[in-house]
This record gives sequence, structure tokens and C-alpha cells, in this order.
Amino acid sequence: MLQSKFFSADSEVTPANLGEAIQQAIEIEIATIPVYLYTYYSINRVPDQDSISGSLVQELVKSGRPVKEANKIALDLSAGIMVYANKAGALIMSVAIEEMLHMALSSNLKQALAGLPELIGKSPGVWPACLPGHEPEFPINRAKLSLDQLVTFLKIESPDPLPDKKLLAAPIPYKTIGLFYKMIMDCIKDNDLPYNTHSPQLLPGNAYYAQNNIDTVYYDKAHNPHFTNAPDSGDLLYVKDRESAIHAIHCIVEQGEGFPGAQGFDPDGSVDCEKMISPDYDDFDKEELSHFEKFAQIYCHYKSLNAQFNKLGIGKIEISDYFVINVAENPKTADYPAHIRPVSDFLNGVYTYLFVMVENCYKKSGNTQYELFMFGIHKSMIFILNSVCGDIMKLKYKVHEDGKEIEYVAAPTFEDYPFGLISSPKSQLIDLYTAALAVYPTISYLGQRVQDLPDVGL
Amino acid sequence: MANINYNPNLSLCGGTPPAPAPAERAAAAPVAASPSVELHVCMGLNACKGHDRNGTNNCAGTGYCATATRHNCQTLNDCHGQGGCGLYGDSEQQMRPGSNECAWQGSCAVPIPAERYSTLGENTGKSVWLLARKLFEERMMKAKRTVGEPPFKCGPPENWLTSVLGSYDSCGNSGDKRCSFGFNNPEDHAKALCEGKKE
Repeated sequence: MLQSKFFSADSEVTPANLGEAIQQAIEIEIATIPVYLYTYYSINRVPDQDSISGSLVQELVKSGRPVKEANKIALDLSAGIMVYANKAGALIMSVAIEEMLHMALSSNLKQALAGLPELIGKSPGVWPACLPGHEPEFPINRAKLSLDQLVTFLKIESPDPLPDKKLLAAPIPYKTIGLFYKMIMDCIKDNDLPYNTHSPQLLPGNAYYAQNNIDTVYYDKAHNPHFTNAPDSGDLLYVKDRESAIHAIHCIVEQGEGFPGAQGFDPDGSVDCEKMISPDYDDFDKEELSHFEKFAQIYCHYKSLNAQFNKLGIGKIEISDYFVINVAENPKTADYPAHIRPVSDFLNGVYTYLFVMVENCYKKSGNTQYELFMFGIHKSMIFILNSVCGDIMKLKYKVHEDGKEIEYVAAPTFEDYPFGLISSPKSQLIDLYTAALAVYPTISYLGQRVQDLPDVGL
Repeated sequence: MANINYNPNLSLCGGTPPAPAPAERAAAAPVAASPSVELHVCMGLNACKGHDRNGTNNCAGTGYCATATRHNCQTLNDCHGQGGCGLYGDSEQQMRPGSNECAWQGSCAVPIPAERYSTLGENTGKSVWLLARKLFEERMMKAKRTVGEPPFKCGPPENWLTSVLGSYDSCGNSGDKRCSFGFNNPEDHAKALCEGKKE
């Protein structure tokens, strides 16, 4: 399991190790991004309702119901599944974009207090991974949507310490991400620190961050759209003094875990599916749930669908089969067959180039930074990475596991691509695209988009 | 899982894998606009006679189609005033359909179908096309120009765009606004959006 060491012996955040602590915070945020995105892409947010309904009718008729009644129930259940699949996707994406915001806010903090944030090559390199420094350590997988995966998500965002089976002699101990940030905040509060206000940060008011987009929206049974993030839940922030630094940390912690008093796991480790309480929201208008509560919603909604199926005598149906794509757990590009490997390398090149560009935004200011962000980062995320994630999932491969042949859908692995120093990352990205195109002509439409990217060095 | 008998006549919802931002299609590439024609993003947003894609409209606001390059997502507009909006972008961008400052600053696809709603900002849940038309009419008012009725009161319906353009795509993974899970009438939604109500 991966365990990065940030401190040699310290277990407190002090002015002397504040920079390392904030870098650790950045890497905690980065570690969550491939996990949430991987599970997001495992969800078919718009499955075929006709097929689901037809399947359910058959099962209901088999269980003894007249066809007319079976049709009525199947329509209702299939609509419930449609809503669930779409909602699960929207909520996970709404968290993923806020993790990107947290990465930027932590990077602003570091730029103001300790120097350039390091983002390139900081995604977990070994899977299962873990949150750097979390006690107790727990495995984090890139895995398809399941109740187990949702429990992992809940552990990541838990506002309460997890049961401590074994205390490690970890160099960077913390019990929850919120408590880790509190150590940083206490250090900032207790010390008169100098703030660098000359170096570039990612600032609000530039259209760099949007709380909602069409991917954070889902439709309810009557097909009304629901917006999963609230406009007042948080934004980029210029870290220029103690007050703004504390404000940035509050935003990160409250989006993740809610306000003090928010509900965590029940004492027995189970998920509390009772009604939300005020601290479970992260905004003053009570329109946006914390990450923990969003994941609890997905978990509890799945359980209630299961209960509904059981009550109808069709509980043997695995509901997720209707909308979760069969991707492997923690796949590696190196293990993919030859018709997929170059596509995965290209995808990882785009993923890594995003961090290259974001890190460069902390070296550039003004219009140069703006153009880099708008022309490079937005375009890469929405119009290259998202596209190639969809394209790679049209490819399949077979493996032998436990003496059986199993077919999987290829998934985006979100591994850091090791750009070399001999040529520019962009020229290497173009080479990766060319190699991918040779095995997968479907992605030919991406060529111009890759060419259009800004050329940014390591 | 049980065997599935697919019946296309049921026509409920879904049926496609997660939709990535789709590719532009070479066959459906837009006709190059004449340099002398003002470039605008949709039906009913033309300032002058003959300034729609067909070049046949009589007066301002009556054109059938965008003259700006057709594109299907944020950051793909060619220049000032040529971006759509609604699905992506921050709250400020989402208030400026068809009036972005520069290339690659539009926040969504062109043209703007009647079904599209804003996902952020003051217009959240409301029609993007109606907002674009309002901005256009304000501009025409300042220019002291008479504005005619658009061919469709609330902008081009997606089905109509598909029939005219051969296909119509915009980005996003949350599904088709027009479909129904079997518990609502999409026409009612379209009517409410057209009346300026919030989705």
C-alpha cells in the first residue's frame, strides 16, 4: 500500500513544517480524484428503461403477478432505477468537481504560505492506495459503483474518526481529513506568518470554477432537473492573509464533512439513513449536502431500492447490473492488451497534462494564466479527457481469474504518465495520441483538439 | 440478470452508454458563413435581413438558423459572440448566451435548442434561448431596430434541429431533457420552459 512520508518525526503542524503539511493536504485531495472519477465512469447514467422494464415484467410474472399489474410495477421500478443511476452519477460528479476545487484552494494556501504547490506525478502510484497519513489506514480502490465502494467513499469523507484497530507509527497522523486541516488551521491561527501576495494563485471571478454543470444535474421521476451543488457552497479564494487562509480551510472541510455536529457513521460502523440534520449541509441556504451525506444518500437509496425489490419477491435481482458497467478493480495500463494499452497511455497522458497545466498556472499570472486555464484545462477536461474516457469504455478485453475467463470493459486508469525531459510534454502527448490512433481510429476526431492545447513545460 | 426483451415501441428513456462529449461530424460540418454576414448563435437572433444560414430572412429576429460555426460544447466557439451557453460555465458566463467576449469563452453548444436550461446563475433552470433572445432584443432596442417574430416562439426544438441538421449533439452525461420516465408529459415541461418558468 502506498504511504508517502511528508514528515520525518513530527506529528504536529508547526511553522517549520507547514509547507509539507499543506503539500500533504494537496496530495490527499489529489488521491480522491481518480477514485471518484473511476466510479463515476462505471455508471451508465442513462440506461435503457425499456430493457429494464421488460426484464422486470418477466421476473414479476414469474413471481406470480398478473401481466397488467407486473407492467405497472415494472414501470415504477424502472423509473426508480433510472433516477437512481442518474442521481448517483450527478452526486459523485458534484463531489469530484469540489475535490478539484479543494486541490486548488490548498494550492492557493501553499502558494501564499510556503511556495509553489507540487501537483505533477502526485496521483497514487500503487493501488489499492490510501489517504496519505490517515489513521487508521484503509484501502482505497478504483472500483465500479457498489455498496462497498460507497463505504470507502464515506470513510474518506467521514466527519468522525474511524474505529482505530491499529495505531500506526505514522509520521503524519490524523483521524479525519477535517482534523488534519484543523491542525493546519491552528498553526495559521497561532502564528504570525508572512503571506506571499505576489505569486499567482487561481482566483475567483475568472470562470475557472463553476459549482454546477449539466453533469451535476439529475432528473427525478417526473423528469424535473435537480442541481446537486449550491452556488453559495464555495468558490476559489485568494489566500492573502490569515482570515482568507482560514476561510479557504473552512470551505474545504465543510464541503467534505459538513458543519460541526454533522452525522457520521453510526457507532456500530453502519451508515445512518435517517433524515439529514442542519450540519449535514455545507451551505447556509441548506441546499447542498456535504460529501459524506451525498455518499450516504447514494448508499441509502440503493438499500431502499433493494428493500423494495425484496418486498416484491424479486430480491434476487442485482439492481446494479442494470446500470453499472463491468470494469475491473484497479486495472493497470501495463496489463491491458495491445489494442487498449496505447489508448490508455494517451488517456493517462491527458490526465497528467492537466496537472502539468494546473501547476503552471501557479507560475503564470494575468492573461497568460487565463488563456492556459480556459484554452488548456477546460478543453482538456471536457473535450478530450471526458471524450476519451467514453471512447475507451467501448473496448473490451478478457482475463483469466480463478480458472474462469472473464470479459471486462476497459476503464480509464487515471495513472500519472511519466513525461520525459527530452521533449515537451505536449509533443509527447501528440506522440501518445498518434500511437493510440493507430490501434483505435475512433479517436481520430481528437487530433485537432490535442494540437490546439497550449505547450507547457514541466 | 433476467433475459431482456427489448421493445422499441415503449420509447421511455435511456438506452445509450454514458455519453462522452461527442465528436464533431465531418459530414455535418457547418456551411462557411459569408464574411459579410453577422455571426450569431441561433434562430431569431439575427440583426439584419438575409443574415441567417439560408440568407432568406426578411428582417431582424426572424432568421431560421445560426450563422456562427456550429459546435457542441464549451470552449469551442470561434470568436466574440459566437458561443452558446447553459450546460457549463460559471454564473456570469451563463448569463451571456451569444455575447461572450472572445474565442473559446462560450460555455456551451451552438445552436441553442428550446429545451436547454441554465445550470448556474440567475437563470438557473430557465430557458437559455429566451435569455439569448432577451439580450438580442435589448441590443436591437438600443440600435433602434424593429424585431420580428422568430420562427419558433421559444427557439428551435431539438427534434426540429435534428430534422434540419441531420443530427444535433451537445455535451453532458445527465441524459436527454426531452424524455420521460413514464410519469410526466415532456410537452408540459417544454411549455413551462417556454413560459419562462423555472424547471
